[in-house]
Amino acid sequence: MQLFYGTTLDGLQMGLCFAILALGLYISYTILDFPDLSVDGTFPLGGVICTILLYRAGLPPLVAIALSFFVGMAAGAVTGFLHVRFRISNLLSGIIVMTALLSVNLALTTLLTPNGYTTTIFSYRGGNIEGLFSGSVTGLFGPGGKEYVILLVLLVFVVAVKLLIDLFLRTKLGYLLRTAGENERVVTSLGRDAGRYKILGLSLANGLVAVSGALYANLYNSYDNDSGSGKVVLALASVIIGMSVFSRLRHIRNTTAVIFGALIYSLCLNYLVLVDRNGIYLKLLNAILFALILIFHDKLSALRRGGTRGGTPERVSGAEAPEAGEIRGEEEDGHA
Amino acid sequence: MLELRNIDKTFHRGTVNEAPLFRNFSLHVSAGDFVSVVGSNGSGKTTLLNLISGTVPTDSGEIWLCGEDITRQAEYRRAVRIGRVYQDPAVGTVPGMTIYENLSVAENKNRRYTLGLMLNRRKYEEFRELVRTLGLGLEEKMNIPVGLLSGGQRQALSLLMSTMTPIDLLLLDEHTAALDPKTAEVIMELTDRIVREKGITAIMVTHNLRYAVEYGNRLLMFHQGGIVFSADGEKKKRTRVEDILTLFNEISVECGN
Repeated sequence: MQLFYGTTLDGLQMGLCFAILALGLYISYTILDFPDLSVDGTFPLGGVICTILLYRAGLPPLVAIALSFFVGMAAGAVTGFLHVRFRISNLLSGIIVMTALLSVNLALTTLLTPNGYTTTIFSYRGGNIEGLFSGSVTGLFGPGGKEYVILLVLLVFVVAVKLLIDLFLRTKLGYLLRTAGENERVVTSLGRDAGRYKILGLSLANGLVAVSGALYANLYNSYDNDSGSGKVVLALASVIIGMSVFSRLRHIRNTTAVIFGALIYSLCLNYLVLVDRNGIYLKLLNAILFALILIFHDKLSALRRGGTRGGTPERVSGAEAPEAGEIRGEEEDGHA
Repeated sequence: MLELRNIDKTFHRGTVNEAPLFRNFSLHVSAGDFVSVVGSNGSGKTTLLNLISGTVPTDSGEIWLCGEDITRQAEYRRAVRIGRVYQDPAVGTVPGMTIYENLSVAENKNRRYTLGLMLNRRKYEEFRELVRTLGLGLEEKMNIPVGLLSGGQRQALSLLMSTMTPIDLLLLDEHTAALDPKTAEVIMELTDRIVREKGITAIMVTHNLRYAVEYGNRLLMFHQGGIVFSADGEKKKRTRVEDILTLFNEISVECGN
């Protein structure tokens, strides 16, 4: 029971951490329709930048996290730039940046060790780092309350990010970003360069991913160069679970749905660890879980297409072929 | 107003599929003109619009709009002054946004897209009235995503969105071709009314010879990148569908169609 309780608590903490990652992917994948693989690189990038700033520069945690955001934005901008200006496909530009970041992160890790390039272990565990969750903050609820304080701080963080995204999407700039994702030609017809808005969106998305990585490093007081692997899958799964389960409910915004998606998926992952204690089949179970979600999601949206939405009198079924926008509309948000 | 000077355009240049289309092509459109363009497939009608809007670059020659050389200008920069409605009704609107949102985004065209809130409740009634003028009952559907509207409704909205801010030139690219005959008629009348009311210069590509004859003050027939028939003023008024149909058939026989 104690084990189950600990796993749940840890799952929730991780889930909140990954919720910000998922919100980043919500911007790139759902709004911009861009499956951004550079995430696998920007997540640890945020972690290593934050760790360096805390450990080497001794900056306050919030400042370190904010700076990680900007570094993540820069990485996202490179992905966008490759795609928009050089017309490299969205998957490939993501892969290029992700691959490049593997080295960048490795190089940055050497800053964490006194021996520079001679280091052989590319992860850093720093118990003496004054991170977001160490020191005075965690003392509030006595020795046993530390975990709850962490949970609370993460929750505040996630809610703040969510509200900021919601607000941003209601601004003129936010609307243009959504337009760029749904129908680029409308942006062009408005006399604006659609590519510029794609780059902006990818920057924001990767900035959030880096923040998630930074929080993750803070949470475990460590940085691991391997922490990026599988983050695209994790984030996409979170987005898809959240959107398919919660988005149809009234009064639930997509951003909220995505947060719940991240929590559910992280909890599931953590419970899988309980099943497979040696961790050998973890990735396999992970993949199966994701596949099941996609299959379930597909069935669910097919059900909806044939159901309420298709039957509304407003829809005139004519010769028009269902175009991408309409199909994707299943995932589109309805906040006005 | 609009001037195309000595345009050359060859597709797939330098390959076995090289297809020269325009050779030393020139066209002058005066302010306030409503030009109908007809012609068979591959005659260069749509390419003409693509060259003007900047979707396709010219090989050589110049394009001038309102006394400014726009030959090298990017498509999105030209779009500030050139509106375009496409054949596919899905192209001109954002499917996931409501009518109200679509109009709000379009109305902001000449201002900056800042961090100010997009939707302004005070504009709501104004947009409602604007939509009411379409006469399609869309004023009751202001908060419905545009993706759920019919092709005709979306096309009407596209037309409205591309003309709600001042533009110099409107390009209509077979914009009634994907609609049923009755809806096409409605959109065509609407187009004519908007073009007249706002005094916009317009170029309309169409396969419907009747529309080409009925609407506009100038008629051009394209064939293999050249103008084979041109009528304006009184000559345009006297032109009947049968006349251009005969010509059309003659040309088609020539090409072995």
